[in-house]
Order: sequence, then C-alpha cells, then structure tokens
Amino acid sequence: MPKKVSSVSPRSVGDESLRSVGNEIPSPIGESVTRIDAHEKVTGAAIFADDIQFGPNLLYARIVRSPHPHALIKKIDARKALALPGVKAVATGADFPGYLGLYLQDRHIFCRSRARYIGDPVAGVAAVTEEIADQAAALIEVEYEPLPPVFDPEYGISPQAPLLHPKLGDYKVANFIFPEPGTNICNHFKIRKGDVDEAFKKCTAIVERKYHIPQIQHVPIETHVVVARADEGDRLTIWASSQSPFAQRDLIAKGLGISQSKIQVIAPYVGGGFGSKAGVSMEALAVAIALKVKGRPVKLRLTREEEFYTAFVRQGLVGYFKMGCDKDGNMLAIDNRYYWDGGAYTEYGVNMTRAGGYSGSGPYDVPNVHIDSYCVYTNHPVTGPMRGFGMPELHAALEQCTDELAHEIGMDPVEFRLKNCVRGGDIIATGMRMHPIGLAECIEKAAKAIEWDKKSKPSAPNKKRGKGIAIMWKAPAMPPNAGSSAYVKLNEDATVSVSVGGQELGQGTFTVMAQIAAAALGVPFDTVRVATPVDTKYSPYEWQTVASRLTWSMGNAVRAAALDARKQILELVAASWGEDPGDLDIKNGTVISYKSEEQISLYNIVIYGIPLPNDQGWLGGPITGRGNFMPTYVTGLDKDTGQGARAVVHYTTGCQAVEVEVDTDTGKVDVVRAVAAFDVGKAINPEMVRAQMEGGMVQGLSTAFFEALRLKDGVLTNPSFVDYRIATSTDAPSDIQAIIVEVPQEDGPWGARGIGEHAMVPTIPAVANAIFDAVGVRAGNPPYSAEKVYLAMLEAGIVK
Amino acid sequence: MSLHRINLTVNGSKEQVDVPSNWTLLQMLREKLAITGTKNGCSAGECGACTVMLNDEPVNSCMVLAVECDGAVVITVEGLAQDGKLDPVQEEIIKAGGVQCGFCTPGVLISARALLDRNPHPTEFQIRDALVGNLCRCTGYVRIIEAVKNAAQRSA
Amino acid sequence: MINPHPGLPEFDYIKPASLDEASRFLAQHPAEARPLLGGTDCFVRMRDGLWNPKYLVDVKHLDGMDRIEFDPTLGLTIGAAVNMNRVIASPEVNKHYPLLAEAAHTVASYQLRTRATIVGNLCNASPAGDTTGACIVLGGKLHIFNAKGERTEGLHSFFTGPGKTALHPGDIVSAISFPIPPSNCSGRYLKLGRNKVGDLAIVGVTAFGYPDASAPSGFRFKIALASVAPIPLVPARAEALLAEKAINETTIAEAAQLAMDACTPIDDVRGGARYRKYMVRNMTRQGLSDVWACLNQN
Repeated sequence: MPKKVSSVSPRSVGDESLRSVGNEIPSPIGESVTRIDAHEKVTGAAIFADDIQFGPNLLYARIVRSPHPHALIKKIDARKALALPGVKAVATGADFPGYLGLYLQDRHIFCRSRARYIGDPVAGVAAVTEEIADQAAALIEVEYEPLPPVFDPEYGISPQAPLLHPKLGDYKVANFIFPEPGTNICNHFKIRKGDVDEAFKKCTAIVERKYHIPQIQHVPIETHVVVARADEGDRLTIWASSQSPFAQRDLIAKGLGISQSKIQVIAPYVGGGFGSKAGVSMEALAVAIALKVKGRPVKLRLTREEEFYTAFVRQGLVGYFKMGCDKDGNMLAIDNRYYWDGGAYTEYGVNMTRAGGYSGSGPYDVPNVHIDSYCVYTNHPVTGPMRGFGMPELHAALEQCTDELAHEIGMDPVEFRLKNCVRGGDIIATGMRMHPIGLAECIEKAAKAIEWDKKSKPSAPNKKRGKGIAIMWKAPAMPPNAGSSAYVKLNEDATVSVSVGGQELGQGTFTVMAQIAAAALGVPFDTVRVATPVDTKYSPYEWQTVASRLTWSMGNAVRAAALDARKQILELVAASWGEDPGDLDIKNGTVISYKSEEQISLYNIVIYGIPLPNDQGWLGGPITGRGNFMPTYVTGLDKDTGQGARAVVHYTTGCQAVEVEVDTDTGKVDVVRAVAAFDVGKAINPEMVRAQMEGGMVQGLSTAFFEALRLKDGVLTNPSFVDYRIATSTDAPSDIQAIIVEVPQEDGPWGARGIGEHAMVPTIPAVANAIFDAVGVRAGNPPYSAEKVYLAMLEAGIVK
Repeated sequence: MSLHRINLTVNGSKEQVDVPSNWTLLQMLREKLAITGTKNGCSAGECGACTVMLNDEPVNSCMVLAVECDGAVVITVEGLAQDGKLDPVQEEIIKAGGVQCGFCTPGVLISARALLDRNPHPTEFQIRDALVGNLCRCTGYVRIIEAVKNAAQRSA
Repeated sequence: MINPHPGLPEFDYIKPASLDEASRFLAQHPAEARPLLGGTDCFVRMRDGLWNPKYLVDVKHLDGMDRIEFDPTLGLTIGAAVNMNRVIASPEVNKHYPLLAEAAHTVASYQLRTRATIVGNLCNASPAGDTTGACIVLGGKLHIFNAKGERTEGLHSFFTGPGKTALHPGDIVSAISFPIPPSNCSGRYLKLGRNKVGDLAIVGVTAFGYPDASAPSGFRFKIALASVAPIPLVPARAEALLAEKAINETTIAEAAQLAMDACTPIDDVRGGARYRKYMVRNMTRQGLSDVWACLNQN
C-alpha cells in the first residue's frame, strides 16, 4: 500500500528548472568516474595544511596543558620561558575572555580560572622553532589547586558530584538544547510517545540491559594542524586542516567578538576528518597566539598523542535499554535512558545527545517510546562529532537487545528486523512521518548476500562460525537551517569552475560536485574543475562538511547553480538566434536547438557574449551561475515530549551482516565475510559509494574489536598507536560486499542522500550478534577483544 | 648540538644538507628540502605515512636520523613516476579507487613498490603483510590491495 | 601525563672509527651515552622523555656488524647491525634456523624491520620481545666487545629485569651466534597480538623440540614465554616433563598446564593476567602439538 510522503516540498533559488530538465538521468550521474583529486594525491603533489610553505618568518607554537583532570589555576609564571632565546610570545586565557561553542558556548580558548580535563590548554608559546617552543613550554610554571573530579556520567548527575560548570545558566545556547543550570546536565532530551508502562504489560518478552560504550577517537592519519596570522589591521588569516572553514570563521569571530569579515579561513585537503576537524578545537589556540605576534604566521600541529586526548573524542555512553515485544514479535515498547559522558566541554557534544535522543528508538516502528537522553559534564577529554554522531554508540547496544528479543521469542533475527523495521509512511518516535526508504530491501539483500540460512563449516576443529545482522538509521544532525551555496562559472575555453564551501575529506565530494555540475549544465565531465582550496574569502558559504549532508545539500546547491548558468546561456543563445530558450539544450558542451538544429559551442560566448549581426553590438556577458539550498521544513520538537512534525530532513537507512569465525582457544574473532547494504537514494558515483561502505565497514570492525580510549582517573593510558590499535591491512576481511539500494530522496539531486557516516554505524552489533550465533555468548561491552570473548566463553562453560 | 654535513641523492637529485644530530630523515625531507609528499602521522614508526625508500628498502623516515643518511639514495612518492609517466602502483590505485583522503597514499605506494620489486607476484596475504605498517583509516584497504594485485599482474 | 616531544630532544651523534673507540667513549660517559643500532626502540623512548642520552654512538658501520655467516660446524653468526628483513630473507637462516626467521617476521612491519635488529631486540630486553624466545631455544650466544676485553655470554642470565640486561658501560654487542641445531629439530613461534599481524605480543610462545636418545621420552623440548613475566620465561618443569614422559596429547596438555603455572603475568593495558595465563596454556599446547607433528613426520 503506497504510503503518503511528506507534503512539504522544498524550494530553492534557481529551482524553477529543477523539474524541467527531464526524467532521464543525464551523464555522468550514476557513473563511476575517476576521482578528480586522485592524480595529485598519488604523486605527492596534493597540498595538506602542513605542506604549505611559509617563509623564514614562520613561528611554531606548543601548548602547556593541565596535568590535572579538574583544578583551579592559581598562577602562571612565564618569565623563564620568555627569557629563552627564540621565544616570541606567550599567550594565556587572561587575554581571551570570550566563549567558543557551536551549540553551547561553554569553552574558552585557553583555560581562565579552571582546567577541566588532562590536556586542557593553559598557555601557549610561539618560538622560531618547534623545538624551542617545546623547551619553552616546559619552562612555564603553573600553580594548580586540584579539585574533586567527575569521571562517570551517572555520578556526574548525582547530587554528590561537584559542579564542573557553575556558570552553565549564563552560557549562550541554541534554542533546541536544554541544559539544566545548577547541575552537570548540559542537555536533556526527552521522548514521550504513547504509554510504555501499559505496553510492557502486554509484552511476552522484555530485554533489559545496561551497556557502557567507551570513548573512542577518530584517528585521522593526518593530525590537526593550523597556521594563523594576525595582521596589523586586525585581520586574521587561518590555514587549517578543517572540515568547516565557515564554521571556524564564525565561531572564532564570536569568540573574539569581531566581525566575520575580518577572518579568512583557507582549508586545503583534509587527511581524514570523521568529524574530528569539524567545528573549532585547537585552531583557536593558534589564533590567540598569533594575535600576540602580529604579522608573523604561527603554526601549531598536534602530535599523535595530543590527537588522542586533546582533540575531539567520541562520547562515551552509559545506557539503560529496555524493550519488549509480543508473542508474534511485534515490538511494543522502548524505554531507554542514556547518560552520555560529554567530557569537559560539550559545546558540540550536546547535539549528539539530542540526536541520540530523537533517533533513540533505533530504526524501528514502535508505538510506545520513552527516552531520556542526558549529556553530562565529566573531567574527561572533550567530546565532539564522530562519524555516526551518537548512532554507533546507540546501535551497539540497541541492536544487540533487539537480537536478544528475537531469540527470546524464538524468531529468526532477520525476520524480526523485517517485521519491525521502519518503513515509509510510519510515524516514528518523534511523531514525524517517515519518507520512502529502502530499509527492508537492504535487510533482504544483505541476508541473501550473506546466505543467512546456510551454516558454513569452520576452518578447524577449534573454531566456530556464526552470522549476525544489524540495521541502522541516521539523519543529518544539524541546525534546522544549515545552508549550502555554490557558484558555477565558465572559462574562455568552456571549461567550468565550480566553487563550493564544503571540504574534500576523502569522501569524494569534489568529484561528485563536478559530476552534478556537468550533468546539470550539459558539459563533458572532464571539463569541470572544482576551485580549491576552500577559502572563506572567495568560496560560497557552506555550513560544515559533516552529517553526511554534502551530496544532498551542497549537491542541490551546485545543481541549482549549474542550472542557473545553463539558463543564462540558453537565454543568451536564444536571443542571438531569435528562438525560445525552451527549444534549446546544452549537450556535451554545445548549445543546440531542437527546433532549428542550429548549434554553437560554449567557447568564448560564456565570457565575451555573442556579437549582434553587422557589428551592431553585443549580447550577453560573463556567465556566473549561483545556487543555494537550505531545508525550510524542519520543525522544532516539544521540550517535554520530543514530538514535532518534522524532526529531521531525512534518514539514511541500511544494514550490515557479518559472518565470523571464533577461535575457541584464544577468543580471536575472524570476519570471514561482510555485507553492507544501504539505501543512498541515488548513487551519483557508485564505486565511490561502495568505497564508503567498505571503508566504513572496516572502521566499524576496528571499533568492534580494538578501540577504546582507556581512561583511568582521567588519564588516557593508551594515547598512541602502540596501545590504541586500529585495523591494519591484515585485519580487513577479504570478502566485503557493498550493495547499493536506491529509493530516491524526494529533494535530493537525482534522488541522492548521504552515506558517509552510516557505513560504520551497525558494525559493532552485527559482530556481537554473530559471535552470539557462533558460540552462544555475548561478551559485554565493546570492544570485543579476544580476551573479552575468551573470558565470556570461559564464564559460560563453553571452554574450560 | 653539532651540525653534520651530509650528501645524499633524493629522487635522483643530488643534495647537500647541514643537519642537526636530532633531525629525522622525515624532517629533513619536509622542512629542509621542502619535499612534502611524505607525511608525518605519528613520529613513532607506527603508522607508515612517512615511508620512503632508503637504499632500495622501505623505512619509516621518522625513525631514521638524517645524519645516518650520508651517502644514501632516497626515493619518495614524488620519485615514483618516471618522466611524467606514473608507476603501475600509482595508476592501479587510481583505477581501483584506493585513494580517498590521500594522506596514507604516499607511504602505501612506496611499500607497494618495494614489495613488487622484491616479490613480483605476491599472494594476497603477502600483500597485506607487506602493507601492515601502513595504516589507512578511510579505504578499509580493500581497493589498495586490489590495486597492488593488478599492478603485479601487469608485469606477468 | 604523557606528553611526548614533537621531535627528538637534542643530542650529539657520534660515529666512531672502531669498536675500540666506541667502547672507550661509552665507558667514559656511562650515564650519558648509548650505542645506536636501528633506533626503533631508542628514538621512541627519547621522544617520550624516558631516555635522554647526550650522545648516541652509532656502531652499525663497524667491523663485522653487518655480516651473516654460516659455517657447517660452527653454526650461524649474525652481526649486530643486520636488519631483521635480511635475517628473514637469508637462505642459511631459512634452511637451518627457520624458527628465527618465523619469529622475526612477526615483528611490527616490513619498514620497521628494515631498521630493527635481532641484537637490538635482545638488548632492549622487553619481556615482549618476539625474537628472544627463538634466540634462547636455539642456544644463542652474544659476542660482547669491550675495550677491556671481549667475551661471549649465553642468554640464560642475560636478562635481569624488564628493560634490563647484564651489559656494562663500554659493552657493545657485536654479534649473536647460534650453534648447529640438533638434527631433525622443529620449532614454532606463536604470537598473540591484538591485530592479526604485527603489534606487540600479549603472549608469545616459542616451542622447540628435537630427538634426543639420552632423554627417557626420546625427545627434548625447549620452551620460552614472552610477555608473561618480568623477563623471557623458560618453564623448566614443563621442559623436564617432556623429556621424561612419552610424548602424546596428554603429556603435551600437562606440559602446557605446567607452563601456565610457571608464569606470572600482570594486568596491563594490553591484556589481563588471567587471560594471559590461559593463553600460555592454550598456545603452549598448540605450539608443542605443531612441533610434535613435525617431529613425528621425520
């Protein structure tokens, strides 16, 4: 039965011709063209932030950081540091009273009176070499008065816990975030739908579990690096490995109390982001130091160890999950409580709590939902956006609980998912009507690809095999008015230049934007260039490169800009030919008339226009297309019930299935094969979409088996690659299948929606469910190290 | 701390550099010679982003002192292509889609080139084993391994 | 709080012209100078601020440091500067001492092994060292040069604690040599890391066996355990049992249990003590079984 889709239909500038371009998919949409940045990346020519050459006037910065998880700062004495030859300046919080923050302004550039985590920046030094800056940093004397710390969010909520942010009530906060001043709760999101107590009474099976999902880190291979220069005219130039040049400009402007027009952020290629380079983190430190050495650029780069504990980390979650179903397997109720370990500052983390809240039911159609999602301050590293934005943490637990429910009523886990998974037209936990999605199709295809019903033989007598499946959903988590814009201009030789504000992190966005522009304009793909680096002075505005939003949002803007340019070109040529623009088209870089069969190449006319006959003047002018896109239909959610007409722009849904082999002598788990199936609406570049699914799967497996930030009394005990292990080439399964499902997104370019984050969301529970299928135990909280699996088997008597 | 004058060849070009004792080969390449294709991912010999060929063998250049390179022949990613023609490992990694953010790519290509030089027809396991010291966070290694396989087949 | 330096701290690089000069310099600066081979352990500790030598004395280029020599009666000599990849690729090593190649191959990564050395691995004296077990069971002897006099030292008393050896200031290990192995011997190194390949050993088990008519069981086994004691551990009672009782699945299981009883692992960031003990048992059993299967074939 066809479900009614959302009745709100989005419009945007340049949109008039969106529907008139016809229903067939123009080339190169849907084609796996070669990445446009591949050649420079394989030759070493691609410029990353630390590669940019500055002159002999470049200074280097190092940061002095709090060794205490919670302490008052009594005194800072920098005299010995300043006396060291080569040292040019020392900066502290004394000069920078402003607050920074994306959703909640709770953070100073440098600590002022209080340090809140081990690693909190207390002072910064600029010197002529990094070595001297490092020596100088060691000479800065800081007097601390340690305070009692908070290391657990449940403790943080209790009345015994010390207040980490006494001024919480004064912080500026976005109107969809609800802090509770006088406590350590910096956000509390609620869902109240139906009546869970009544519904549980009708349940045949109820599963109640507590999970602790540890903090992990993004581990981009390129650590954070920034160069900042302040000019005498109070202008700031920032070169940064950044996902969000415009957000950096905005947050730093607000933090310093200056105009955005005074700041220029230049962002070259990013060597891996995954969210760690969104918003503002260490970049503000370089800016502050640069203001003390006007005219000289100051470079700050994080060591790998600093990357692990002073850059953003993913929130830890202490979650209580309770869900129930009737004897036929219909899920009737979900009652969950989430205590997110937000860390020392939650200017970004508060929104993960919200997203975790409104999507907290998981991708299920459940009539009764009760969720409390708390973001709690702790004296742990600062949490920020990481691929999945709360979804991997949630699903790690939730999808194990649904698996357990299925087993309890004797229903096959795939059948259980198909019975309860959300479908287009369902009313979800926030009261929003779900748009058309292909989640059920993803489940069916993944189950088929992993040969769900077949049991395969283990490779040795001491090994056991099992299969597990897990499903997911995620919506772009962002303010309701996050916008994109784009320009398309043409050069004399009819090559095209696309300007965007979104960033290439490896996901392939520049290539996809070039494809979209080529398709909408009607020119060959290889004539399209993307103007890099992104530079807030010249590039059009883009909210941030996060939330898996660019293909959809920036893609719409680029398409609109290309259509705008196309419109200008057709009007020009139509005027020259005395025809109607509606009879004209651009095919392969040539303007053609379907009526008169006239043709003209785009060469020159896109800059110089077309001459009138008999030297009587000219028509036209330089063609510059512009477009933007901003969703206009996201509504607020009720503060007490979390209900609202349209919580999010859309959901991407999908499924992963894995087959594992457990070594019963060691507990080691080998992934024999893995399948991913995601509904991306429309794969603009199918091979790049598959590459996201593969990369996400392996990163997900890495988090399933290896990854946790081991914090003990606020100290990170594994702050390097030696003991924070990630998947290597030998750990990646040799059989990964990536299946693309396409149920179009109504307002996406040719139906496209995002995939970047989703590809690693359901992996932990898929693995855990497979281990259960293999050996009949669940090994507690991730990561599922060999040790955890072995000891779980030992406890259960499966091994002796 | 003394300065040492060293002579070496980098990507076929002769260089003479004065380096402090405590500079690594990686620092010298990036900061004295401005050859920035080779990347710094950890300064601890763990991630492989700094892999270069040193006298025909791949090393983590962050774990080699510049001063130990007197008389050495160094090849970085910039030296893989000959006369503008890409090396097979470079071509195949593009074709296979094994490049995403590109930060691990220079080190991966050197390790791959070195593998095929010493073992022109490696098994899949040998390829994985040869690349275990090159961490990649984006691709999941799938297309990198395929690229090396394809490059090996080209010389069959 | 761990806060490694971005680069290496200042030091002076010394390149002596002879072993004698190197030894004298090291003896003259006992607390301030260290010999330098591959640097893979040294540089990491210097960046971490754990070691702060004023001088690094490079000994790689000195006489004899670079050789791999095999003699059919005297055995194998590997110079201190020979990198692990060369050891792994050496035809003599693979023919006569394949266990050594197997163990070396589990270390880190190819590019790290281009710099890492067996001797360096031993002198680093980490209880997790991957090649220490093979060197012990193969009867490795260190050739130690000192300006005051050279000597050879076996490994049984070489390791005195985690990171500590019996070396004195002025000592330079110039080579390690191995006697001709017993006929028809077989060895295995099993390493449990977090990743499939590479990583440091959470537990490492070296098992080695050979026919020996003088043993009541007809065979002698040597076992060395990594990462389960302050130094590489030889479970003597397990070895004794295997020399006494007829070798079969039960004896092997008993020996594995004795190995488990002998070790004293700790909880650390890599693994818990309890798990390590079980892994010693299971991996020793596996290693002994693998070796026994090979011995049976011969």
